Parts: sequence; C-alpha cells; structure tokens
Amino acid sequence: MSAARSPATAVAEPTASAPRAAPTQRGASLRPSFLRGATLVAGRELGASFESGVAYVYTIAFALLANSIFMNEFFLAGQVEMAPWFDSMPLLLAVFLPAVTMRSWAEEKRQRTIELLLTLPIRPLQAVLGKLLAALGLFGVFALSSLPIVAMLMTLGDPDLGRLVGGYLGLGLLGLLFLSFGLFLSAVSADQITAFVSSALLAFLLVLTGDERVVAVLDGLAPGLAAGSFVYDHISVVPQYEAFARGVVSLSGILYFTGLSAAFLWLNVLLLERNRG
Amino acid sequence: MIRAEHLVKRYGATLAVDDVSFAVERNQIVGFLGPNGAGKSTVLKMLSTWLPPTSGRAVVAGCDVARDPMGVRAALGYLPEHNALYDGMRVLDFLRFMARARGLSGALARTRLDWVIDACNLVPVQHKRVQECSKGFRQRIGLAASLVHDPEVILLDEPTHGLDPLQVVAFRDFLRSLSKDRAILFSSHILSEVAAICERVLIIQGGRLLTDTRVETLEARAKAEGQDLERVVLDIVRKGAQSTNRVEVAR
Repeated sequence: MSAARSPATAVAEPTASAPRAAPTQRGASLRPSFLRGATLVAGRELGASFESGVAYVYTIAFALLANSIFMNEFFLAGQVEMAPWFDSMPLLLAVFLPAVTMRSWAEEKRQRTIELLLTLPIRPLQAVLGKLLAALGLFGVFALSSLPIVAMLMTLGDPDLGRLVGGYLGLGLLGLLFLSFGLFLSAVSADQITAFVSSALLAFLLVLTGDERVVAVLDGLAPGLAAGSFVYDHISVVPQYEAFARGVVSLSGILYFTGLSAAFLWLNVLLLERNRG
Repeated sequence: MIRAEHLVKRYGATLAVDDVSFAVERNQIVGFLGPNGAGKSTVLKMLSTWLPPTSGRAVVAGCDVARDPMGVRAALGYLPEHNALYDGMRVLDFLRFMARARGLSGALARTRLDWVIDACNLVPVQHKRVQECSKGFRQRIGLAASLVHDPEVILLDEPTHGLDPLQVVAFRDFLRSLSKDRAILFSSHILSEVAAICERVLIIQGGRLLTDTRVETLEARAKAEGQDLERVVLDIVRKGAQSTNRVEVAR
C-alpha cells in the first residue's frame, strides 16, 4: 500500500479520522489483451459451473448414459470399435449441450450481471468467445469420459486409429456447432428454459433430418420436391458427422461445421452490441 | 472529464432522456438528483457505454462513448443501478476477476485489491460467497469492484441504496476522499445525501435537466425564500413536471 498513513474510513464504520487515500499508482486506462479477456470470462464461467455442482451432475449423467449405451452395443455386436459410442453422440449431445449453454447469457440477463460484464473493457467478441471456451471445456470433460472405452478397446484388440481420430474430430466439430447456436439462443431467450428448449429443438431438427425414416416421410409428402433428401444433403448434421466417424476428414465437412458455428457466434456478438438495456 | 451534449434516449414512443447537457470536471463530485424514473439511470447507462444514445454526444475521460467505448470503459468505474454481482463467487475471487478484467495483474493488482478490501471494509466477508452477504456488504462489494482499478471517472447509480445510516455517513467521507484528482457523478433521489456530499447538483425530471447549480446557490435561495432546501428542490421538480406536461400536451 502506498499511501497508508491515516487509518481507513471503512464504508461501514464512520470514524473521525480522514479516509485513507488510494494507492497512487493508477491502473485506470489498462485493459486485458484479447486472449486474456476471453480466457478470463471462460475461467469465471467454468468456475461457476463447477462451483455450483452443475458440471459434475452433467458429466456423470453424460458418462453413464453414453458409456452404458456403448457397452450394450459392444456386447451385442462383439466388435472392437468405437462406432456405437460415436453413433449415439448426435442425440445425446442434442440434450446435453443445450443444457450446458442455456444459462450462459439468459442467466446473465436475469441477474443483470450482463451490464456489469459488458461495461468492463471486454469486447462482446471476447465475452462470446470466453463463454464458448468455457462450454467447450465442459464438453471436453464429457468427451474425456470415453477414455476408459478407448483404453479397453486398445487392450482387447486393434481398433482403427483413423476412424478413432476422425470420430473425435467430428465430435469436436459437432459440439462446436451445437454450443455456438446454443449460446446464440441463450442470448436471444429471456430465461434458461426457453434457451434450453429452443436449442434442443434445433439440435434435434438437425439430427433427425439425418434419419432415413424422417427423410422418407418428408420425401413422401411432396415427391416432386424431395424435401427430405434436400434437407439431408444440405442441412442435417448427420451425413457430415458420419463421414468423420468413418474416418473421412473432408474440407467440406470442416467448412460446414466451422462456417455455421462462426455464423451463430457472429450473430451472438451482433446481438450483444445492438440489443442492450 | 465527463461531458454530455444534448443527450437524447428514446424507447419507441417514450422519451426517457430529453436533450440533457452538462459537464463534470476533475476534482468535482456532482450529484444527480431526481425522483424515481426521472432518467438519472438512463443518463448514467449512456455515459457507461451500456446504452447507446439516440442522439447527442457524450465524452468520458477524453473518449467518445460511441466512437471509443473501450477507452471509456477502461477509464471508468461504474456502479450500476441494481448492483448485480456474480452471486456464486467468493468476494475475493469476484474482486480479483474485476481487477483482471481491468488489465491489472501481479503486484499492482494485489495492492489495489488490498486497498479496496480495506477501504470498503470487506475484510470480514472476503472469503464468503457474494450471495451470503447482507445488502450493505453487497453494495460495498459493488463499490469496491468499481474502484479496483483506481478510475479517473466514477459513476455511481444510487450507491447508498441498502446502506444503514452509519454506513451512509461513512460512505460520504469515503466519496469525498476519492474526489481528489477524479470526477465523480452519483445519482440519488435523496436530497440530504446530495447536499451533504456535493458542491454541485443536477436536477432531472421527466428526462429533462431542470437545474445545474451549486448546492450553496440552492441553500441561498432557500434562505431568501424562508423555506427549507427540500421545499426549494420540490418546487423546481414540480415546475419542471408542469412544463414537461405542457410540452407533452402541445405535442
């Protein structure tokens, strides 16, 4: 402390003595670097998830569900490969990732901390990326829960490493997309429930339009239009994701996921910049 | 340090702030007085860069709020109206987060944190969660968060809300001690509070700035008219409300 001569006049207890002056070295005009600002928001967000216990509940529920679905398929099929685990991911993530992102902005708005956050020298882009990093961190913890399966497969046989790496890459990209629109919908929504329902709905839409039965029904509604096939080819996440899970890493697949994610993140930033008060 | 020029804020058909202009210089504490819903918070929100003005211009610490909002935010200490805090965090962690968000690190951050915790008397609660703290402590946590980077310009929206009378008196001393080398604008709807702390007062009603005057001028007027200060301010507000109504009818 630089100017600690006279005792402090605490805000709680008035004294006759003069209040202590602030340290003379100013921190005013300082601001965090771009990366520092984003990681700071991410750290706070992730810390809040773990402190509240939400992160533990989600991780345990996700690990139990995903791994038990896999073990069931593993014993039925008797094949040493991760395919059943990756196959279950789109539907599971359509439930779990909206639960991760639902509170991101909706809770900031409900508690009015959004005004506190966005009047700090942190840009909306830094705040959005920070929230995304935190959500990706938790999603990473979900993914780590599959490591015992990988270890088991390595011990029991010789799984296709290319498919394994492709599968995880596809999983990461699928998660990135779900989290990006989850964050945007949380920023649009007035409360967490609306954010969760709208994000889960969009995720299910993108997943179910990849189901051949849904495609057949949609095609059957208007045979001339072949709407089901069009949606499957151009909108659904399933064909893109399945290509990665087969070990096929294509540029178009990467662009599909990253392009859509970037669009939602950009919309989120735009919303924060324009829709205040 | 703070300059507002013809600030206007409109929400659809509602005019929340109507052509407000004023300036606050270094070493000044200026009180923003007005009844609830007068537009005080909206003006502070525009100065803090949270709300964009519909028209007009505001400059804080040499930075235009519309063109250089990051410059404004870096130089500004702002306590918002509802003093929203991250409830789940521990007080020390929250203040550390605020210090880092201000670009402070290392020894400077530690010095500043030590000072705000001590000056705002947060030692007893520094390891508690924010949600476990009383209203008075919450207000002081918000105040500490707005001062942690030693800002040149301080905007405080109803800073004594939730403080008991002893804390209010201490807060006045504290605010006066801060005014050296800084510009402070704080809003209140309590006249005695503004009169006790400020040399200058801005009175706002219906979004319009009715008076920008020295407190002693108001006191002299009260003395001359044989009324108390409260009555004089009420007269100003009442006349302002009547003229606003006339303008509304004319429109």
